[in-house]
Formats: sequence, C-alpha cells, structure tokens
Amino acid sequence: MIGAEGQTAPSNRRIALVIGAGSVKCAAALGLQKVLDREGIGVDLVVGCSGGSMYATFIALGINVQTAEEMTRRLWTSELTKRRHYPSLLRAMLPQIFPFRESFGLVDDRLILDRLQTAFGTRTFEEARIPLYLTATDFHNGEQMVFSSGKLVDAIRASIAIPYVFRPWPIDGRLFVDGFLTDPMPVGVAIKHGANVIVTLGFESPYQRRTTSVLRFAFQLSSIMSNNLLRANYAFHNLAHHTEILPIIPQFRESIRIFDTHKIPYVIEEGERAAEQQLPYLRRLLEAQP
Amino acid sequence: MVIGVEKRGRVTVVSVEGSVDGTTAGELIASLRGQVSGGSHQLVGNLAGVDYTSSAGLRALLETVKDARQHGGDLRLAAVRPEVLRVLELSGFTSILQVFADVDSAVASFPA
Repeated sequence: MIGAEGQTAPSNRRIALVIGAGSVKCAAALGLQKVLDREGIGVDLVVGCSGGSMYATFIALGINVQTAEEMTRRLWTSELTKRRHYPSLLRAMLPQIFPFRESFGLVDDRLILDRLQTAFGTRTFEEARIPLYLTATDFHNGEQMVFSSGKLVDAIRASIAIPYVFRPWPIDGRLFVDGFLTDPMPVGVAIKHGANVIVTLGFESPYQRRTTSVLRFAFQLSSIMSNNLLRANYAFHNLAHHTEILPIIPQFRESIRIFDTHKIPYVIEEGERAAEQQLPYLRRLLEAQP
Repeated sequence: MVIGVEKRGRVTVVSVEGSVDGTTAGELIASLRGQVSGGSHQLVGNLAGVDYTSSAGLRALLETVKDARQHGGDLRLAAVRPEVLRVLELSGFTSILQVFADVDSAVASFPA
C-alpha cells in the first residue's frame, strides 16, 4: 500500500478515496489529502466523478495541494461559460432549418478543453502514482463508464460534460456525458476494485434560489434527480456490502457557487477540518484486523 | 462504545455512546438483536452520545428496524447529533426511520 509520499500503511486494508460530484466544493478533497499525508495514511486507489475527477487526478498524480490549488484557479473560472455555442442554440431553436445534433451544449467548450490540455497535457492514467479511475456516462445507453487508461484530458472532459452546458464528449466512437448522471458518488467502482475501506467526499447538487431561465429550470430538475440518485446509490452501497464506508462531509458556512475558485483555500480548510474529525475512527479501523 | 438499556413501559430505550463503526457495530447489533429476540419490539435508539457512524452503523440500524418491524414493532431514533443526522440523510435513512428530537418524544410516539 503506497501512499502519496510513498509511505507503507501499517495494515493490510485496501483504502480507496472516492471524490464525487460537487464542482469547486470538491477542492475539499485536497484538505482531506493533506490530513492523510500528514498522518502517513496511504491510499491504494482514487476514484473521481464530475468535479471530483480533477481532484482525484491531482491526488493520483501526486500533485501537491498548493500546486493543485493554483492549477484549479487557472483552470476553473467563470470565463469558461461566457461564450455561447451558437450552433447548438440554433439547432435547439430552429431544428427544421438547422438539424438538431446530440453533441448539444449551450457553452462553447473550446476554452475548457484548452485549459485541461494546459493542465494535464498528454499525461495518461498510466503515469498516476496511485491507480486512478474516472467515471462518465455513456450517452446512448446510460451505462457508467470507468476510465482507467488513456489520456487524462479525455476522461476528465467526459466526466465533467455537464448536461446542457458542455457538449457530450466523444471517445473511441462513443459519446459520454457527466459521470454524476449514473452515480454522483461512485463508491461501487472502489468496491469493484477491491477496496475494503472507502473514504468518500461528495456533495449534493445545489437547488436554484430562483428559477429565472430555461437553463436554471433544467438545472433544478437535474439537481432533484441527481440528489435522489446520490442518496439511493449511497444507501445501496452502504447496505449491500461489508465494506467500511466513511463519509467526510465538510460543512460550509459560506455559500460556494460553481466558479467560486477564490474560496478554494476556505474549501480546502473545511475539508481538512472534516477529515480531522473522522481521523480517530479511520485510525482505529486501520489498526484493527480486517 | 457504551450501551445502556432502560425500560419505559412497553418501550425499550437503548442509549449508545461513542462511535458506531466497523470496530464497534458488532457489539451494537448483538445488543439490539438481543432486545428484539427477548421480546422488546418497540425500541428507541437514543443517539445523543453518538458522534459518528459509518456504513457499519447504518447496517446495524437497518437490521434492527427490519427485525423489529417483522415482530410488529419499530426502531425509532432520538436526539441524533447533526453530524450523524447528515450521514442518515445522505444515505436516505431519514425516509425509512422516524427521527425525534428527544427520547421522551420518541417514547411517546409508540401507542400506549
């Protein structure tokens, strides 16, 4: 069991870190990782979904917290959604003139792709120091896709293909949308890969305070469905397996919106605080014989 | 973990202190199972002293509530701390278990 700093953990437990959906709030995973590193608790595999896919990748690549924070600030800004994807708009509004295509997304996604390429370049899963699994959803059959090889940029782009916002992403002839559509907290992936202690960090999708546009209306419906999916799947995995699942649930006193990257230090701090609260139980679990 | 049992009429109040995780849940399951098999089917789980639960704790609660309901009773929870309530909510448990602010309310919720 090799940790981010090469430690060997003192038990034969197989530990997974699962970082679910939650946009900028997922940066709390960096605070959790700080605590695990400081305590010398190694992680055997990392699973990421949607916003969590970026942080799972940072951790699996061994990128330190400060660098990951800087990379997020450069990568994830509100500029990403500023430019509309006019062909999609026309295809949605005038399908008889401009035939509708399934590669639909209201936002021009060239900037997000550029930034992902700047951040991760041609790096692949095979370069990860800790085995990494990123999830997306097959647009055509709704099945969960788990990426564990190939280019990181493609897998992350697929995992964050937020419905209506970013176009579904094609990989090897298949089309993928956001991983949260199949499971916002993919604990099952960790179980399937042999984890017996699973530390989870993920968030419910926020509800709209005011539904003032079609897009907000669509987001609201999406949040309702994904939050119910999260609870149903989480309950299933908690009850159907004998795996120990430890949820880390940071409490944010401030509201954290989708592009609030200036609040990342605070988010990391809350992630660290939440992880420290659960540390005694994690320690006791690791010391006990499986 | 410390487990205390108190009879209040036909209702049995099981008070738990400490964390309910993979290393302690077995003890809790044994205690709750013992209550149900001993004829106590109307149970209140007083969680005022529980500061954490993992999946093992959720499994213990589910096993007990199923067991109690099969015998015509129920397991109801009382005085759940916010950090534990968040885990119950995240896993959908608040939709299948009745949760009360305090032990008195939970006891009173059972028919006399």
